[in-house]
Amino acid sequence: MHFSTLIFRNLFRRRARTLLTAAGLAVAIAAVLDLVGVAWNFQRAFTSLYQGKGIDLIVARAGVANQLSSTLDQKLGERLRGFQGVADVAASMVDVVGFEEAHIAGALINGWESGSLLFRGTHVLEGRMFGPDEDKVAMLGRVLALNLGKTVGDTVGVAGEPFQVVAVHESDSLFESGGLIIPLKSLQHLMGREGQVTGFVIQAEPSDPKSVSDLQRRIESEIPGVAATQARDQVARDMQLRLAMVMAWSTTALAILLGSVGVLNTMLMTVFERTGEIGVLRALGWKRRRVMSMILGESLCLGVLGALIGMVLAFVGMRCILLMPTARGFIDPNIPGPVLGLGLLLGFVLSVLGGVYPAIRAAALDPSEALRHE
Amino acid sequence: MNEREQTSEPILRGEGLRKVYPDGAVDALRGVSIAAAVGESVAVVGPSGCGKTTLLHLLGGLDEPTAGEVFHKGQPLSRIDRDRYRAREIGFVFQSFHLLPTLSAVENVQVPMFETDWSPRERAKRAEALVEQVGMAHRRNHPPARLSVGERQRIAIARALANEPSILLADEPTGNLDSHTQDDILRLLGDFRRNKGLTLIIVTHSSEVAAAADRIVRMRDGLVVVEA
Repeated sequence: MHFSTLIFRNLFRRRARTLLTAAGLAVAIAAVLDLVGVAWNFQRAFTSLYQGKGIDLIVARAGVANQLSSTLDQKLGERLRGFQGVADVAASMVDVVGFEEAHIAGALINGWESGSLLFRGTHVLEGRMFGPDEDKVAMLGRVLALNLGKTVGDTVGVAGEPFQVVAVHESDSLFESGGLIIPLKSLQHLMGREGQVTGFVIQAEPSDPKSVSDLQRRIESEIPGVAATQARDQVARDMQLRLAMVMAWSTTALAILLGSVGVLNTMLMTVFERTGEIGVLRALGWKRRRVMSMILGESLCLGVLGALIGMVLAFVGMRCILLMPTARGFIDPNIPGPVLGLGLLLGFVLSVLGGVYPAIRAAALDPSEALRHE
Repeated sequence: MNEREQTSEPILRGEGLRKVYPDGAVDALRGVSIAAAVGESVAVVGPSGCGKTTLLHLLGGLDEPTAGEVFHKGQPLSRIDRDRYRAREIGFVFQSFHLLPTLSAVENVQVPMFETDWSPRERAKRAEALVEQVGMAHRRNHPPARLSVGERQRIAIARALANEPSILLADEPTGNLDSHTQDDILRLLGDFRRNKGLTLIIVTHSSEVAAAADRIVRMRDGLVVVEA
């Protein structure tokens, strides 16, 4: 018989209690995995939004929390193009539109100029890109097309106006795959913001960090009221993304607290119930260390069981989130490997935090006293 | 043939043992001296609460005396690793058997062996042999709940012998058994004592059990009153 056999058998001595404790842990871990997973995928989608296109700088109105609320004059693009070290500039307008008939509360709508560098990383799956003089045409992201049930040649209502679908595209970023792209002029007209954009993206040449930093400083000092942000910093500065991460990690902290208290309670009850038995084991020559290993081993098994059930629950939970209209197109339902690893780590941490005190208490029992308890 | 030679030199000796429990209310032992030679069987008898079990716990290194000292082969227990002493030199048999309910009979016998260097295979082999020696081979895979009280005590004795101890300490080992089963268990303990040269210290209320011992130590109110 291996020592682990004894641990497993002890754990399932009270099956209902073990399973309930593991279920409690599983719910906490699943909540963490879903929230951190969503935030992680959000961040990854945001990062690929810029990095996949070779964008070095994002220019927006200074002081705005996110690009949606930024407003700049489109003519500023020409001025930016004149800066030394700028290889390419693209104007962009971004907003959010809803599609009530498909129960989609919000999808990203991008207004881009034909041939813009922003089209990098956009793969047309069906149809064609729109041309420079076209109006009222739309390229639907794959996920949005799927959710709307639309394909090339169909008409889609955007903010109350009909647009003809000319392409279904796939992008490296989920935001774009879950949204749509229309000509910049069309979006400006649709939003009543003619001549305005929400920002510009810049490809620098050379694009080494020092040169990009230098270009960033020059733009900010020469054009008052604008903020130039390096692509890698844009993700870190986005308020919504930061909020999502804070929420995810706050939930993690809460899960650790609640989960470890659950394990602590179960393991303390176990030690109390088995005081006499622990006395017998000590009488049979077991060292304190072995008693500790047994209790900690049981606690660890609980943690691993909770983590495994938690992962399954997290997958189910993620699919349930996708049933909500607001989540469609914005949420990547896959839980990344490192986040799953976090689930296992959480199971380990919770079981150690909850198991250490009962294990110490069990090991500290005086054998003679423990036998009298029996 | 005895594996350990019987000599008059005590293998276990308690000198002036006193035990006052931390609350100070119970003076369980008030200066007890006792000795047992290699291969000897000693019965400790006396009324409930006279300190028999406390004495057994002190001799077995389960508890420390308030005053006095226990010596094993001349070495004071206060200077040796008491966990190791219990694991290697002492076998405990309890009145209520105290088998682990989640393990089978043969697995219960392996429990003390976790403190040895034996491999899992070696542990299993030794446990199988012991289960056979106590006549329980046919019930080896049964959990304690499916064994009779006599069978449970047989397994508890096999467990006490798991690490080949030199001393067996038994606390009312026949207290829960009928007279027929009591005779069986006494015979088994006697056989092991003779064959393995074990020293047996047995706490009992039973005059029949006491009569089977080489020597009887009678206690009252925390003191040894008669040795015969």
